Amino acid sequence: MTHPNIEAWTRENAERYDARAEAAWAKDEIDWGVWRVPESELHALPDVADKDVVELGCGTAYFGAWLKKRGAARVVGVDPTPAQLATARRCNEKFDLGLEFVEAFGEEVPLPDGSFDVAVSEYGASIWADPYRWIPEAARLLRPGGELVFLRNSTLVILCSPEEDVAATEMLERPQFGMFRFQWPDSGVEYHLAHGDWIRLLRANGFEILDLIEIQAPADAETHRRSDYVTADWARKWPAEEIWRARLST
Amino acid sequence: MASPPQHVEVNRAHWTRNNAEFTDAEAEDKWAGEEIVWGGFGWLESELRILGDVSGLDVVELGCGTAYFSAWLARQGARPVGVDVTPAQLDTARRMQERHGLDFPLIEASAEDVPLPDASFDLAHSEFGASIWCDPEKWIPEAARLLRPGGRLVFARGSTLQELCFGEERVTERLEHDWSDLGRMDFRSEDGGIEFHPPVGVMLGVLRRSGFELLELRELLAPAAAQTHPRYDFVTADWGRRWPSVEIWVARKHA
Repeated sequence: MTHPNIEAWTRENAERYDARAEAAWAKDEIDWGVWRVPESELHALPDVADKDVVELGCGTAYFGAWLKKRGAARVVGVDPTPAQLATARRCNEKFDLGLEFVEAFGEEVPLPDGSFDVAVSEYGASIWADPYRWIPEAARLLRPGGELVFLRNSTLVILCSPEEDVAATEMLERPQFGMFRFQWPDSGVEYHLAHGDWIRLLRANGFEILDLIEIQAPADAETHRRSDYVTADWARKWPAEEIWRARLST
Repeated sequence: MASPPQHVEVNRAHWTRNNAEFTDAEAEDKWAGEEIVWGGFGWLESELRILGDVSGLDVVELGCGTAYFSAWLARQGARPVGVDVTPAQLDTARRMQERHGLDFPLIEASAEDVPLPDASFDLAHSEFGASIWCDPEKWIPEAARLLRPGGRLVFARGSTLQELCFGEERVTERLEHDWSDLGRMDFRSEDGGIEFHPPVGVMLGVLRRSGFELLELRELLAPAAAQTHPRYDFVTADWGRRWPSVEIWVARKHA
């Protein structure tokens, strides 16, 4: 049986991401999340020039492409979904950026220990992989002093999301204690932890927490046509997304 | 000398009233307690194990109130110094010291500006003291200054989620406030104080800029047997079993 996340992302890729991949690869600016907040405002990333970068759950690998354009020495995109990697490889040829790809889950990456300076995940392993398995894997792949940066849904937006596939409300729809694994209807398996749990997990794997950027939607943001699990109005009042930045101890 | 910020005056008046209304009367029970208990739903330190062995440590309690927490730490072998901005609270603390034969320094000052030398403590501590009543941009750097390299900062406060859901009188299951309200909250009630509740990401930034490494953020689950607190009944035990009402931060000053 196909893993539910591969099933979901094969479908998503056919319905939307394959068609959007080339436009995403063509962009020169790095931006983050549903509201496309520019990296130049958030300063979430370390300098990647001449660094070896692994992207965990790269999808069509547009984020890795942006980092290669910023001068990364090597970018390896890791994703479990063959259809997404096929799109990524097509774009890689077209834009001639020299990314490398590995078909694997973020929980178990067939790459050697200590081979990267930066690990990133933008709605990749950060929500689709078991954090108790992919965070240790990121720590293993990084060199001492290497940095991990990942974007996920905020804990708050998950707490305010009702069972059905509708936009987040202003009510606490589910308890925080016990939150971990989610399978929404017609979707794959997601993992969401509370802040205290993230901090404990990162530290247990040798990371120092550098930053937690809770993203506010810009004043002119409009509710995203497809990412409609949260309205722009909600995301202006409360953070629906957050970026973690951590550094592996030397 | 510049006059103190308005929130210091407001909070001193607030705690002078609270002292007359209940903290003076409750001090004896608190001081008589043998165990270290964290406020809110009464979590036992012996179960949480956040502070570790405090014997021999120089401890400064920032916003000590009637100084019961410092008294508990003293009984465990620590050398505490209590700092509080409200004279009435310190009067109660002194009376308790005499009564219980426990003597440690008590200093009348805002935790934002403490008249004690640099690098003189191993542990800076605040349990619903400076942690909510002082401006973090001021008291966190002050805690860093007071600590020796490698020293720890431990503080308890209401969780971000609790503050977001804090309605007119009590904590609900609705987001009652916008995120932008959290930094400084001075509208809770007419005779209330001015509180500071920066969200987790902002607080992490203040800690790092002040020279701290974050070690832990413990979001506390109300114990199964916990009952709604008779005085602090703004949050029910049932709420506290589903969402964290209290969180404890542990950070270490860079060596």
